[in-house]
Amino acid sequence: MKDMAIDIPVEPPAELKSLFIPIPPEYVEDAYNKDEYLVLVGPQHPGSGHMRIILRLKGDIIMDAIPDPGYVHRSMEKLAENRLYIQNIPLLERPSIMDPGNYNLGYVRVIEKAMDIEVPERARYIRTILAELGRIGTHLYDAGILAVFLGHTTGFMWPFGLRELICESFLRATGTRITSSFIVPGGIRWDLDEKVLDFINKSTYTLEKRLKGFERIFIKNPAVISRLRDVGILNRREAIEYGVVGPFLRASGVEYDVRRVEPYEAYPELDWDVPIAEDGDAYSRFLVRVEEIYQSISIIRQAISDMPGGPVMSEDLIGRIKEKDKVSRDIRGYFYRIFSKLKLPSGEYTVLTEAARGTLLYSIVSDGESNVPYRVRIITPGWAYLRGFMESLKGSRVSDLQAIYGSFGYFPPEADR
Amino acid sequence: MDEHIEFLKSGPLSLVKRWGAKWSLWPVHLVTACCGVELAHAYACGYDGERLGSLNYGICRQTNLIIVEGAITRKMAKVLRITWEQMPDPKFVIVMGACGLNGGLFWNGYHMVKPSDVVPVDYFIPGCPPTPEALLRGIRALQDKIMTGETNSTAKFSKADLSSIIEIPEEIKQKRVPTPPHSIAKAPVIQIDGQREIEWDEGANLIQTLKKDLEGLYISIEMTDLNRICLKTTPEKTPEIAERLKFTFDHVKSVNVVDVPNENKFIIEYVVSSYGVKDLMPVLLSIITEIPRDNPRHPSLAKHWPSADYMEREMHEFFGVWFEDNPWMGRNFLLSPDTPEYPLRKDFKLPRETYVLRGDSR
Repeated sequence: MKDMAIDIPVEPPAELKSLFIPIPPEYVEDAYNKDEYLVLVGPQHPGSGHMRIILRLKGDIIMDAIPDPGYVHRSMEKLAENRLYIQNIPLLERPSIMDPGNYNLGYVRVIEKAMDIEVPERARYIRTILAELGRIGTHLYDAGILAVFLGHTTGFMWPFGLRELICESFLRATGTRITSSFIVPGGIRWDLDEKVLDFINKSTYTLEKRLKGFERIFIKNPAVISRLRDVGILNRREAIEYGVVGPFLRASGVEYDVRRVEPYEAYPELDWDVPIAEDGDAYSRFLVRVEEIYQSISIIRQAISDMPGGPVMSEDLIGRIKEKDKVSRDIRGYFYRIFSKLKLPSGEYTVLTEAARGTLLYSIVSDGESNVPYRVRIITPGWAYLRGFMESLKGSRVSDLQAIYGSFGYFPPEADR
Repeated sequence: MDEHIEFLKSGPLSLVKRWGAKWSLWPVHLVTACCGVELAHAYACGYDGERLGSLNYGICRQTNLIIVEGAITRKMAKVLRITWEQMPDPKFVIVMGACGLNGGLFWNGYHMVKPSDVVPVDYFIPGCPPTPEALLRGIRALQDKIMTGETNSTAKFSKADLSSIIEIPEEIKQKRVPTPPHSIAKAPVIQIDGQREIEWDEGANLIQTLKKDLEGLYISIEMTDLNRICLKTTPEKTPEIAERLKFTFDHVKSVNVVDVPNENKFIIEYVVSSYGVKDLMPVLLSIITEIPRDNPRHPSLAKHWPSADYMEREMHEFFGVWFEDNPWMGRNFLLSPDTPEYPLRKDFKLPRETYVLRGDSR
């Protein structure tokens, strides 16, 4: 067949300027000249959260994917420099509100590390339970959104029905459905009683039973498998090079889990596995997270049965209140007095946490004189794996975009902070 | 045409039309921020918003309701307006969450916009985030508004007169406004590479190996904490260091910039770690350089470590540091173009909290 060149006068569309499309006009011209075209996906699209992906297509093959994040950038790093350390707990929980345990834990552990605060045994176990509940909840949320992307309504309803159990557990334990801010430096706000722990324990059995049903309906569904398998592959080398994190890294065959590498809270005392997969495609990214739900269920049950007694607030902090002022042992009465004058020693403190979607890094620089942080750096998992997400899109068909997007569980409020 | 619309609005069939609109409120799928989590619950099996005739729909051309879920940023405000303009009449807007009301937790952020400045709002639902019940209540309130044409607050608070119960002493009434508890140092000294003596034998060995490998390329290599090593160097030597280290320390965990205006410098920090070598997995190596604040240029390491690319772009927008060879310099990536320039520099100040005493509470 003879090569045909169609001579179309190329002028970048006027929207390039008015809609802040962050690509230069030369790029558009270059694409047009090579008989390729650009497709803007989003920001208003039928998934969860908002970002724009600029796809460069040849036929229906994605040649290049340029992200346009920042639609939910709420300037957290700057705001955190202007607030007291204790006021930052609810602020820095907001990137991913369905995962409050891990986000609180990540920030609070920086303060504990800097000030050498010893956390009582019972508080560490309760923190572990909250972190794992958040992990289950986030994985279920992502499974539901993946189902929305694939157009599978039952697959959306089922995990969100299960999430009600998680929300109810949080509600009984901490008082709110999702944004609990329950973990504070030195321990937790209040002790959980037997009834609440019993409810959490029982609900893990319901979860496990219902997950089996979900497996039949969605996970092992041939239609789902054919949409997800061999799609958006990131091999081991690529995953490492682009700095992918969490379950998405483990799906590419790298055994890296912060809970194992740099253990914290009650994890070293409990018995659990790190699920990994070798394929690195969308389906294994999904399966690794499903397997993690079962592991989290097992962690929660062990933590409840091994739960030691004792206080839930560090003696270092509660001991700062004079004996004559003390009415009870409860931290809630002394919040302002203990935490408002909190100052970290000068230096930089970096702490890694394994949040549901991967490594969460909080780094605080303190000048040693102020009771606000000098600089807070937050790297959320979404921000870290955005590059890997974009790379995995290249070379796949445009109809697989939704499957790959869903398989990463990309949550823009988390990535943009 | 106008008389047809007028006929629909006030003619004998208007009741049917309003009844139809009441039971077919289709919110467009515009999940603007984190309140979307509770919105999803409201339409899932637990709360089943569909029984009110309302169900999320993907395309804005076929919907008549926007539920603004929380924070609207400068970048999103444009999208919100465009989406709203594309929707056919009659259309409604519900704003959920404290951020949408008045900024909420992020009220003094540099990237925030109030939704009521962008689109006309019918109902606000307070909460952070509001529960699914509250959202469904908002939809019921909107349905009532469609039928009656009046906007009413659904929550009424009774006022209690406390003056008969508590007597406020005169000296408390006279008290001045309390000052916020923040104490911020005027001229802070920033020390990132503070050495600490800890027992960590592998770390000492690792530092010896690093010193041998990077002969002449560093100023100092020190242990700052367990599993944390700090390497201090000069900007022009960083590409060579990256070239030598990239096979063992194979990815970048964080790129950080610390602004120190009173010493007229930026501290650039690359935190690198390893996925490939099992023993090095817990180790975080910070590569620290200092550059002058008035000419902030630094070689880009994105060529050696692709994982640093997006973080360099972000730091360029936040601080104005020019990472040479990074293709995205001078362009917007995360922030909207109308954001104030270099918002994370220390000389960009945010509005502060102040106490406002109302006349009767004094």
